[in-house]
Amino acid sequence: MRGRILGILVLLAWGIAKFSFEARLEQRMENTRLGGFKPTASLRQQAGQAGFIAALGGLRSAVADLLWIRAYTAWRDVQYGRMKLLFDTCTAMQPRRVLFWDISAWHMAWNGAAYVQNHEPDPVVRKAEMRKFFMAGKDFLQRGIESNPDSWELYERLGALYKDKLKDFENASKAYDEASKRPGHLKYTRRFAAYYLAEVPGREREAYERLMALFNESEHEWLLTLFRHIQNLEAKLDIPDAQRIWHTVVKLAETPGKEGSAYAGLTDLIKTGSREPAVIDAARAYEQKMDIPAERRVKLPVQDKRPSD
Amino acid sequence: MIGTGVSAEVLKRMDAPAITIENLTKEFTNPSIFSRGKITAVDGLSLTVEAGHVYGLLGPNGSGKSTTMKIVLGLVVPTSGRTCIFGRDSRDVESREAVGFLPENPYFYKFLTGAETLDFYGKLCGLGGKMLRDRSRELLALVGLESAADRRVGGYSKGMLQRIGLAQALVQDPRLLVLDEPTAGVDPAGSHEIRDLILRLKQRGITVLLCSHLLSQVQEICDRIGIMNHGKLVREGPLDDLISIENQTELTLENVSPALLAELRERAEAGGARVLGAHKPQQNLERYFLDVTAEKK
Amino acid sequence: MSTEISAPAAAAHASAHKLFSLRRTWAIASNTFRDLVRQKVFYFMLVFALILIGVSLTLASISFQGQLQTVMDVCLGAMSVFTMLLAVLATAMLLPKDMEDRTLYTILAKPVSRFEYLVGKLAGVTMILLVATLLMTAAFLVVLHFWQGREIENLQITEPAERAAATIKLIKSGTFTPTLFGGIGVIFLRSVVCAALTLMLSCFATSWLFTVIVSLMVILAGHLVPIARSVWQGPVGAAEAPFHIAILLRLITVFVPDMQLFNVVDDIAVGMTIEADVFLRIAGLGAGYVLVYLFVGWLFFAWREL
Repeated sequence: MRGRILGILVLLAWGIAKFSFEARLEQRMENTRLGGFKPTASLRQQAGQAGFIAALGGLRSAVADLLWIRAYTAWRDVQYGRMKLLFDTCTAMQPRRVLFWDISAWHMAWNGAAYVQNHEPDPVVRKAEMRKFFMAGKDFLQRGIESNPDSWELYERLGALYKDKLKDFENASKAYDEASKRPGHLKYTRRFAAYYLAEVPGREREAYERLMALFNESEHEWLLTLFRHIQNLEAKLDIPDAQRIWHTVVKLAETPGKEGSAYAGLTDLIKTGSREPAVIDAARAYEQKMDIPAERRVKLPVQDKRPSD
Repeated sequence: MIGTGVSAEVLKRMDAPAITIENLTKEFTNPSIFSRGKITAVDGLSLTVEAGHVYGLLGPNGSGKSTTMKIVLGLVVPTSGRTCIFGRDSRDVESREAVGFLPENPYFYKFLTGAETLDFYGKLCGLGGKMLRDRSRELLALVGLESAADRRVGGYSKGMLQRIGLAQALVQDPRLLVLDEPTAGVDPAGSHEIRDLILRLKQRGITVLLCSHLLSQVQEICDRIGIMNHGKLVREGPLDDLISIENQTELTLENVSPALLAELRERAEAGGARVLGAHKPQQNLERYFLDVTAEKK
Repeated sequence: MSTEISAPAAAAHASAHKLFSLRRTWAIASNTFRDLVRQKVFYFMLVFALILIGVSLTLASISFQGQLQTVMDVCLGAMSVFTMLLAVLATAMLLPKDMEDRTLYTILAKPVSRFEYLVGKLAGVTMILLVATLLMTAAFLVVLHFWQGREIENLQITEPAERAAATIKLIKSGTFTPTLFGGIGVIFLRSVVCAALTLMLSCFATSWLFTVIVSLMVILAGHLVPIARSVWQGPVGAAEAPFHIAILLRLITVFVPDMQLFNVVDDIAVGMTIEADVFLRIAGLGAGYVLVYLFVGWLFFAWREL
């Protein structure tokens, strides 16, 4: 008995000593994004007893993966309600898995909404149901972002959702902006942020400045869509001719060693509606210099063709 | 002993009795949930085993012999009282440096061979290397298990287990050997050999504490015995003194004629003695068995 | 039997008795290791874990997207669970078996302290857990390497170039990371903590089944310690919980180890990084638990009637 009493006292002393250490370590791990999972009563209901116990025992991710496979079975069987429940459980079990949030949102806002669009005959009900799916998708992304604030993918998907489904260009731009600030983001997120900002009434000037910053950054940013948006804004904002981008591109065409990059820009300008004679002349001069075959030369619409074309 | 470099403490221990038990009491809590109270396994036991003696601790089942042995070996903590081995408290781990123990029905790790078993116990006693290997080989020869040295203990017979148990008890060349039923399950030839071994160990000055139900064997080899019953020591002392019938004398004659026998009877009765009987003495059954089986070999 | 006995083994007792001897402890540890390696429980656990690692390949192939992730999740989960089960089952049998067979008497009748005996037993179990972890890790790394190659091939076919390149770069840099190996180290450490806990419980339990059940219950309860702690610490929770529940929760936070702190595999599987100081704290906490459980086990065992 003496040994047992002493043993229990030592365990008690250790328990008191380690309490604050464990609490601080838990906090430290929370701060570094580790251990974000917390077992809750709702998870117990969602996962069932066996799943809950497995989740506690170190099989959380594995159980989430199994439920994820089941969610795909539900998708095959077109059971969007069951899919949502399974997605909720998977994301609760493994909130750090960006893919879960991303794909869940995609299924809700794109596939689920499309299903309703194709199968619901009543237009009023169709619109309401589609909106529910859009909001479900948005909810997944926002919750995903709470658990994974550094995920550029989730912000990117949110931006796409705002733009494609909710037609909210201002929030779409904000989301792409946030994506572009996260590590590992793809370059197009910066462009998209500016593109959608241009669609927001009253923000055109701001969008123009951002697009021009991209334009001036490097020729690698000289893409067709960029040129289209800049030219549209140049017209909308009535940018003085001398400041328009075609001058920069034509000047570059005169720089030795930069003719190739400039030609790409010139062709994009033409494709996006520019009919400045200097642009067309510079393009044709390069084509002649490089002996580019006729079928590969940039084409003008019939009404804009010149005798020399 | 001045000038030997040996401390007084060590000298004192060298002269100390092998085992000293002082007012030993051990109570166990009654395991039954239906009755409270304690069970007294050993009750105020005091005895001394002098160094170099073979001491037999006897008693019926449940008399407290095993508990006493376990307390002496430091395996069980006494309720009160004290036990010492060569002057050192039994609860000191160091006291077991000088002790070898063979439990009743010994069991060893099945997956070890005989040689590996001795190696294992030798290492527990601080032996190692070539010394341990040599010692293991010697002990296996001593107990007659040379041919089974590389066989797993899981395949040993009862007798072989007893022998390997004896070998492990001797591995560190102890000054005290505690043997609990050392010949249980061993055939008469093996039993005889173990008995001879104990006597040889005694000649070397090793103290032996022996528990056995084979009283004939105890009678042959023990110097002193203690008999326990219900946890108490009811008899204790030199064997010869305890079992001799004081007022009787045995006389063994060879080639005596009936006439001479009758004359001796008359003389004895005339002198006030009573002749209780005259019969042919019997040889020891064990001796008879050994002689017969030795011939057949 | 030989009739001769040689001269006493010289120098056997020349050196003073050490309170704690590595040689004695190592003898018990290596013996325990050999014993456990021969037992079926070790092979069953190992085979199951290796099967599960193999099954991860099948699961990954039927999972849509993130197959590499599925492989990591299932394999790390299997390693986590099986090392824990192995720790509990292997340790629970040690003391009862020695007591039942009475080998314990022959060992403790030698100049071996009960503390050395316990340390030796725990060291033996730790060695078996290390071997099991290494074997599972080797299988896991082979499977992971194979699936990483497949995932990269898939991406090159199915994704646009820029996206594929970025994802491939992420996969290559994010799969075999120091954090992954650190996480496997934490799995091993957690199993040693479970073994130490089980050994402590077996020092006063009378049957191995009791030890197994209670150990598993404590380990399970350990995963709920964060909830218990938050109820205790949070003003709202503490006020809302009934008195007896509040006492129970406090007892849980004090007496039960917080196993969630060792449960980092789920986060490592998704590529989170363990910072060095967090890993050191977890290691320190684990070492603390092992030492305390060993000491308390010795206290339980020291006065135990054999």
